[in-house]
Amino acid sequence: MNLQSLGLGLLQAAALLALAPLLRGAIKKMKAAFENRQGPPLLQGYYDLAKLLRKEPVRSDVSSWVFVAGPRVYFATAVAATALVPVVLAGAPLEEAGGILVLVGLLALGRFALAAAALDTGSPFGGMGASREMTVAALAEPALMLGLFTVALWGGSLNLGDLVRTTVQRGFSAHPSDLLAAAALFIVLIAEAGRVPVDNPATHLELTMIHEAMLLEYSGVDLALVEWASALKELLFMTLLVNLFVPLGLALGASPGALAISIGLYLAKVFLLAVGVTVVEVTNAKLRLFRVPELMAASLGLAFLALAIRFL
Amino acid sequence: MMSQDLVILFAAGMLVTAYLMVGQKALFTAIRLYALQSMLLGGVAIVMGLTDHRWHLLAGAALTIGLKGVGIPWFLMRVIDRIGIRREIEPILNVPASLLICLGLTVVGYRVSTGLADGAEGAAHHVIGVSLSMLLMGLFLMVTRRKAVTQILALLTVENAVFLVALGATTGMPLIVELGISFDVIVAVLILGVLVHRIVDRFESMDVSHLSKLKG
Repeated sequence: MNLQSLGLGLLQAAALLALAPLLRGAIKKMKAAFENRQGPPLLQGYYDLAKLLRKEPVRSDVSSWVFVAGPRVYFATAVAATALVPVVLAGAPLEEAGGILVLVGLLALGRFALAAAALDTGSPFGGMGASREMTVAALAEPALMLGLFTVALWGGSLNLGDLVRTTVQRGFSAHPSDLLAAAALFIVLIAEAGRVPVDNPATHLELTMIHEAMLLEYSGVDLALVEWASALKELLFMTLLVNLFVPLGLALGASPGALAISIGLYLAKVFLLAVGVTVVEVTNAKLRLFRVPELMAASLGLAFLALAIRFL
Repeated sequence: MMSQDLVILFAAGMLVTAYLMVGQKALFTAIRLYALQSMLLGGVAIVMGLTDHRWHLLAGAALTIGLKGVGIPWFLMRVIDRIGIRREIEPILNVPASLLICLGLTVVGYRVSTGLADGAEGAAHHVIGVSLSMLLMGLFLMVTRRKAVTQILALLTVENAVFLVALGATTGMPLIVELGISFDVIVAVLILGVLVHRIVDRFESMDVSHLSKLKG
């Protein structure tokens, strides 16, 4: 790991961090447009973050260091995960550090830290949210891994940077398992981002929230970190989905022309995926909590099917 | 090669819709999935017709999209609206178990497809594999669901699968046969629609297991 790739990783993480609140804002705006509402301004996410970062966090007397560490670990793991994912270059900045397994492990670590912090204050909502989040995660994680392994099987590498490079060089060729894996990972994206059939990001109703329930005790900087990291995670999953299954136009070298095309195509692809997520969110009602495992079972089944068809 | 890729993608899309239909309890969503599946089938026929210059496939595709992608779903939605039953309340087998079984059925379907003459490689392998899997899934759906409308959808899925296997394994059926089959499908769906009304009138439920009470 040399200095250059470290710098590139930091640059990429900064760019994705800067973009993430815009993505959430865009989805909110599109959702509002579907529902004939005005919706919050596109940049509302940035205003909220700026406001929260200025405020002093209020912490419960009975909470321990776990409560303080939770948001920080969550944020740090999300940022670290961005360095393992190819965004506009066909190769990840810190790809020597690890591949799919490290990525999934980092995300799991962040989730664990947040769930532990939610339990720390002893508030019933925190515990409820943590248990629900872990229930969904336990089902989403195998689907995510199987889906990624399907692609890895084709590229012949568990390293995401390597994988995308091979795919770009080999050119496009369709296989049914790609579509099945993409469908499985799309369901995982919806579950991980806390979007409507699984969770409702706009609700603060006690009985229905999953992710929000864990954050009720947080305020100020702590809350800003969690919100920002969640947005980053959503963008990360979208990036993963578009770059693994539609690696069209990823720049192989660092020439300015190729880079410009790559950035433009990347933004277009993520935007199209965001439109897809919005359509799903607008046209579906939130599932009852006990129905969520059925959806995740479908995702897991699709991912497994994708893997099986590779061998048949 | 591009057209082969498209055929494979469309066929894979049909498999995904069939799979999601198994994991689905809301009837409206299931009908929408069926409509999407028929559109994708039409897509396969269009791509095959254009690349191999088999123009009669285009007529078949138009028929598929118009009839099975739009007409039949509209009719089924109207039936559901009339009788006001929107959900498959309790399938005989729960959803995760059905999904697991369908997974096995897909593996079987794919494995069997390699036994066919063209079925071992290339786009035909995937098309035949997908269609055999869908055939098995449709049959499975038919025996494990209680609601009459879901069973109609299962029958239609099987019909789509048969159409797809005809596309993949042969050069396509003659237009007159396709017309005949389409006509059969319309009549079948209309009669089944009437039957659903009759069942609901009689038992105030769409559950076909009530029919066994009719025995003397």
